[in-house]
Amino acid sequence: MTTTTPPGPRALAWRRRGHSAARFWKQYRTRRAGVLGLAVLVLFGLIALTAPLTVGSDVQSVTEAPGQPLESPSGQFPLGTDRFGRGLLGLLIWGARVSLLVGLLAAVLSVSIGAVIGITAGHFRGRYATVMMRVTDWFLVMPTLVLAIALATVMSRSLGTIILAIGVTTWPTTARLVRAQTLAVESRPYIERAKALGGGHWHIMSRHVLPNVMPLVLAQTTLVISSAILAEATLAFLGLGDPTVISWGGLLQDAREAGAVSSGDWWYLVPPGIAIAVVALAFTLCGRAVEAVLNPRLGVAR
Amino acid sequence: MSTQVHGRGLSGPTRSRRRMPATVAVGAALVLSAATATPLDPAPRQAAAADGAKVLTVAVAQSVDSLSPFLASRLLSTSVHRLMYEYLTNYDPKDSRAIPGLATKWESSPDKLTWAYTIRSNSKWSDGQQATAEDAAWTFNKMMTDEGAATANGSFVSNFEKVTAPSPTELVVRLKKPQATMTALDVPIVPKHVWEKVRDFSKFNNDKSFPVVGNGPFVLTGYKADSYVRLKANKSFWRGSPKFDELVFRYYKDQDAAVAALRKGEVSFVAGSPSLTPAQASALKNADDIKVNDAPGRRFYALATNPGARARNGQKFGDGDPSLLDERVRHALFMAVDRETIIDKVFQGHAVQGEGYIPPRFSPYFWKPSAGQELAYDPAKAAQLLDQAGYRTNSAGKRLGKDGKPISYRVLCHATDPNDKAVGQYLQEWWSKLGIGVTLDCLDNVSDPWLAGTYDLAFDGWSVNPDPDFVLSIHTCAALPATPKDVGATDNFICDKRYDELYARQLAEYDPVKRAAIVKQAESRLYDLGYMNVMAYPNAVEAYRTDQIKSIQTMPSAAGNIYGQDGYWSWWSAVPADSGGSSDSSSSTGVVIGGIVAAVVLVGAGVFFVMRRRAGADDRE
Repeated sequence: MTTTTPPGPRALAWRRRGHSAARFWKQYRTRRAGVLGLAVLVLFGLIALTAPLTVGSDVQSVTEAPGQPLESPSGQFPLGTDRFGRGLLGLLIWGARVSLLVGLLAAVLSVSIGAVIGITAGHFRGRYATVMMRVTDWFLVMPTLVLAIALATVMSRSLGTIILAIGVTTWPTTARLVRAQTLAVESRPYIERAKALGGGHWHIMSRHVLPNVMPLVLAQTTLVISSAILAEATLAFLGLGDPTVISWGGLLQDAREAGAVSSGDWWYLVPPGIAIAVVALAFTLCGRAVEAVLNPRLGVAR
Repeated sequence: MSTQVHGRGLSGPTRSRRRMPATVAVGAALVLSAATATPLDPAPRQAAAADGAKVLTVAVAQSVDSLSPFLASRLLSTSVHRLMYEYLTNYDPKDSRAIPGLATKWESSPDKLTWAYTIRSNSKWSDGQQATAEDAAWTFNKMMTDEGAATANGSFVSNFEKVTAPSPTELVVRLKKPQATMTALDVPIVPKHVWEKVRDFSKFNNDKSFPVVGNGPFVLTGYKADSYVRLKANKSFWRGSPKFDELVFRYYKDQDAAVAALRKGEVSFVAGSPSLTPAQASALKNADDIKVNDAPGRRFYALATNPGARARNGQKFGDGDPSLLDERVRHALFMAVDRETIIDKVFQGHAVQGEGYIPPRFSPYFWKPSAGQELAYDPAKAAQLLDQAGYRTNSAGKRLGKDGKPISYRVLCHATDPNDKAVGQYLQEWWSKLGIGVTLDCLDNVSDPWLAGTYDLAFDGWSVNPDPDFVLSIHTCAALPATPKDVGATDNFICDKRYDELYARQLAEYDPVKRAAIVKQAESRLYDLGYMNVMAYPNAVEAYRTDQIKSIQTMPSAAGNIYGQDGYWSWWSAVPADSGGSSDSSSSTGVVIGGIVAAVVLVGAGVFFVMRRRAGADDRE
């Protein structure tokens, strides 16, 4: 009577998840590149999150800019000043918020669209799948950047526009991957059993397919973030971003417009350029590590 | 050719000023290296071509709209027409007064309605025929009778009753009403025997067969859209042959690339339209063999307010904010604009603080508000004015419109103009202190919302001619579009009876001093209306290689600009340097640093792409 009651199914599930997370982390830790990428990301994430405390939003004020325009690096301004006389180090830190936010949101949007289309196309087959896959193919062959530029041009200039432009143009790869995985999952016998027991479309897709494609989706998200950050920087650099919002790509655009390239004001160009490259690289390293851990076939090969 | 709109007018020549290379590769990192690609071009071209001809290459940031003098309105095109064709009169490079061009003498009848011009007999077309009064009469008559031919300069002849050529050296113009601009008719005179074969003037662009027959200091010999315009010296030009053998305007989308080309000696001159940025100017000042010409400009840079767009038939359109119809609101907005900061920070001294409508360079017409009239920077008074006008702040500090919603203005800005964006950011902060929100609407092509009147405020600017008639005419009621569907000559739909009266009076006044006084009254009226708030007169900042150009005429000769003059003086007078151009300036720090940046970033991008490609390979398995 007083013996311990066996844990309920919910608790069991949580315990199982805890175990697999620990197992995942154990394997992830063995990949040095992945750990390095993660460390860099944590660092940048902390910098971005604490920016209101460290540099404050005043850093982007043009009327209260502390320095003279385009000062070279000095004790007061470690990375020099921009064309308004604002300190570039502060702008770089503040810009990390927008660049990371846009990268994350655009990647989430892109992967969500891709996952929904991939799962439904894999599940329903038939005419619906054919149509969806042709649409996917169409987006796949369209040059992403050109499409994003066209979208960003016709819509008003804001962060939402940029996120949308990147999100709706980069999802086809995810859709293809997820559909392939869905097909593989749905051919397993237990799906047939679930159907026989009366499982509807929604049940199959949300309870059986989704958990199985989730690792793939996660890995894909990490990888897409880095290209989304690059895409955001590109669009901002091409002058399609909101000029009043500070982002790394926007800083590059400002630098170009101010003529910093030909006049050799490197401090205006190099830091945002390096920041973009480093963060994109870090996300890629993480994504690769996650992918390798979650996909045992890749793990053995290396 | 009166307009020479530069920046922001309706014919919007800036539209293509800096279109971005849309094909650039994947990441900003790669784009960055693309931007530095030009400085790394290993083969600088010299000023002298292989056959020893002296070539003057000018980098311009504007493309040609049309090479037909009847259609062209952009600064580059009208400058080229100045070189190809003679006008009746020209402007003195020293003080911009009217001097003989194709006409040697002119006089008006006592009733002010008949003007007689004596046409010179020593000007020949480049195909050998004599240029006569008959050519001039034909040109004007064509513009009066053919609507297609009146596209660009029709405003000059709308008041003409009859133009005749009694003899090859006599041209007589009969007017309907007195017109003060008769010695400033910026209309290129074209050869009748060539142009009478043209069928449709609204479509003919004069760019098919070369060389194009003309009688100016240069003859057009080649043109490629968005690439170059090539001209050859006219050795038999009546004022004397130009010193350079060839003149090439080469189109650079990116001003920084043009500057790099100048450093390499690939071009001899970088046009200051748009001006070089302060950073470019100060870097070029320290470069060898390069002279930076920083001269007071012909332009004004203003903040235009939508006065409620309407057509001549009284129909209203557009959706300008109703609060802007209150003069106090317009004044308050401008009183919160610190022009000094704009000069210091945005233009970094390469501009003069804005006052009246016409830049100080045109001293006879320059007008300045009196101390009592001036809308000086005073944010406290601005807030007071808004309170008086009934626009009060709510608890959150936002000013509410009459509909009870917070006021937020859309400011139309040119995505291609860095100054617009910079000033826009200042406006945003200044006006937010008044409790007014600002959305910067930066577009590549501002013409559509502009013509439709769907803006609240807009950055505006025009190049002013020595004769101010045109820039004044664009604010009259007569310039409004006939119906909302039409396009009028109006700048931003201003229509004011008192201003119109003053405009008509100055046009009919032949005495220069009296006319100037009326023009100043018109400027004063315009200032009080608060629809056109001039923030600055930007300098023309341009640069050239002293080892390729020995000397060149500025206009006005003391502290004047070179590109975009009212006349052909600069290119006609340019003297080539003996050396024939430098071939090496590779150690410029900008190039080296640009190279390092490109390399660093390329390596980063390279690693990234290798990873991506591997990822792709794995996905495929």
